[in-house]
Amino acid sequence: MTDISRYHRQCLFQKIGEEGQKKIASSRITIVGCGALGTVLASTLVRAGVGFVRIVDRDFIELNNLQRQVIFSEEDIRDNLPKAVAAAKQLKKINSEVQIEAVVSDVNFTNVEKLIRDVNLVLDGTDNFETRFLLNDACVKLGKPWIYSAVVGCHGLTLSIVPGKTPCLRCVFESAPPPELTPTCDTAGIIAPASTVIASLAATEALKFLSGNEGDLNPTLYSYDVWTRETKSFHLEGLRDATDCPTCRHQRFEYLSGNLAPKTTTLCGRNAVQITRPDRITLDFKELESRLKKVGEVKSNSFMLQATTGGYEFTVFPDGRAIIKGTNDPAQAKVIYSKYIGV
Amino acid sequence: MIYLDNAATSFPKPKRVYERMDRFLREEAANPGRSGHRLSVGAESQIAQARNVIAKLFGVEHPERVIFTLNCTDSLNIAIKGVLREGDHAITTVLEHNSVLRPLHSLEANGKITLTKLRPNSDGFIHPNDVKAVMGPKTKLVAMTHASNVTGIVQPIREIGKLVRETESLFLVDAAQTAGVIPIHVESDFIDLLAFPGHKALYGPPGTGALCVGERAKLFPWREGGTGFDSESLLQPIRFPFALEGGTPNSVGIVGLKEGVEFILEEGMDKIRAHEQGLVKQLRSELKEIPSIRIYGTQDVSRSVAPVSFTVEGAEPQEVSLILDQSFDIASRAGLHCAPLMHRELKTFPQGTIRLSPGYFNTAGEIQTAVRAIREIRSQIAV
Repeated sequence: MTDISRYHRQCLFQKIGEEGQKKIASSRITIVGCGALGTVLASTLVRAGVGFVRIVDRDFIELNNLQRQVIFSEEDIRDNLPKAVAAAKQLKKINSEVQIEAVVSDVNFTNVEKLIRDVNLVLDGTDNFETRFLLNDACVKLGKPWIYSAVVGCHGLTLSIVPGKTPCLRCVFESAPPPELTPTCDTAGIIAPASTVIASLAATEALKFLSGNEGDLNPTLYSYDVWTRETKSFHLEGLRDATDCPTCRHQRFEYLSGNLAPKTTTLCGRNAVQITRPDRITLDFKELESRLKKVGEVKSNSFMLQATTGGYEFTVFPDGRAIIKGTNDPAQAKVIYSKYIGV
Repeated sequence: MIYLDNAATSFPKPKRVYERMDRFLREEAANPGRSGHRLSVGAESQIAQARNVIAKLFGVEHPERVIFTLNCTDSLNIAIKGVLREGDHAITTVLEHNSVLRPLHSLEANGKITLTKLRPNSDGFIHPNDVKAVMGPKTKLVAMTHASNVTGIVQPIREIGKLVRETESLFLVDAAQTAGVIPIHVESDFIDLLAFPGHKALYGPPGTGALCVGERAKLFPWREGGTGFDSESLLQPIRFPFALEGGTPNSVGIVGLKEGVEFILEEGMDKIRAHEQGLVKQLRSELKEIPSIRIYGTQDVSRSVAPVSFTVEGAEPQEVSLILDQSFDIASRAGLHCAPLMHRELKTFPQGTIRLSPGYFNTAGEIQTAVRAIREIRSQIAV
């Protein structure tokens, strides 16, 4: 039996109240990605008493995660726990009333619908555009509201998306920016306050939605820099009608079809995986080289760029194809690709 | 695009292959032999004609003993698993493709058979005496490639076939790289089981292949099903080709294959072979001029077919192949080519080699362009 007293202060907040708390308690959410953003989202929303929280992440915890990924500990690394499992274990100690489901898997076009079909709200804790567009496809298709968040360096973005009512992610970003213009936490770094702030803003949006205050959702694409304190609100009124969005206007779910997912081929006997992008791009080696030089050794010629970092060696070709050495696991290779090259 | 991956599948196909398949699928593709209507009878007749033309090409006396399959792997599996029984001994070579190695190894691993793998001599040939030396009373099958898909070296199958024919054993030849380029005659070459793909040098579409089954071979079917006659029997008919051909065949593919074979017969295999040989010779001798490139196989192109394998010192084959594709628009294949033991033999395991395989539709100019590209790649990336 739920002891409402643990939520007393939250109920005192007049926008929520006991009614809102009951709604929160009967809600179900999926958090996709349990890193810097995901841990704060999960921690906040489990503490807030969301009835069911599904946490999806395929990664294991590394030492360099602890600087910003709250709730994980050195002990979790020693136990070699997957992020989703470690998060569930820790959060059950904090709130045993919440039903927490840990899913250790990458999110892809075959499983994304299953992971969000039975929830009221989806929260983005991912680190790449491809997965976000996939989430967007699935959420628009199934009519699930979701909250986009993204952070790198000292700066982040968040946007609340209610399919059918607000612009969707592809109304806002038509396609993923080219990799060399996509800084990632593994190349540009990140400071913890940036992810904490953005995740807190996203969690606030979740509380609004789940407590019955959908009308209070922030209608803008909100950008915040914790270092300079520069804030920007991009107004999106009319965007939904103005764009020719393939996803929400034409209901064409290109990411969900799997045809836009990068193709991976394990190279026989080589402990290496080749990744081929579905889109045609031309990489700017100079830009990519200067970005990767910060984290490892890089050399390039007009045909290819080779880099060594984090125990992996990879070769990138001008059209974005890459050979990742040091793994046989296609999913792991994709992680490396999105970390260092970007999608 | 310069396509130099004909050892994987030939491309393009002769125009008549495309046209015939299109017309067949639009106008004639009823289920062959299943129903008595004209369309069905017509389709069956087309497939029979395909059998006839293949039988003619390989000297098969009874065309019904040409079995249509999905590809060469399928043919080899039908042969290997159809012939070998518990306690049998089989002989193969390290030159083989995984389509021979894997079925044999799985039978060995399951304790069903014993297996001997022969190594080539320093020139890359399997010596007939080596085969003879390891044959015993339990030897049921000698399974080997006609030409390695890595080095292209053509094996002395007639000599080996002859000595196998003197025993109770059967001789299975994987002609994936030779069918359509090198004359093969199942009788004069003493071949009991001839497996080949339809989509390589026979110019058929992918998804086609065949197995010619000699009369000494008694095969258990591993795929049983509808044949369109004898339906009252609950067992697969023993009559060829139905004994080994349950299910609706890939009729569209088979008529395409027939067209490809007819193209060869009209063009003349000698002319095709001479053209390919010229390209291989040119490719090998021009590659040889580039420093720090190592070429495998034999310089004697009369004993070799199209695949030319090489490595560039200081460069990963996979990387060279990718650069060829994206910076020069040249299709090649790098890696182990599904022949791991061959690469161990060549000491190119596990990185493999870069393989260029010219076909009849390539030109000397294209070979020149490819060599220039490799020269440029080497100058930029090799140490």
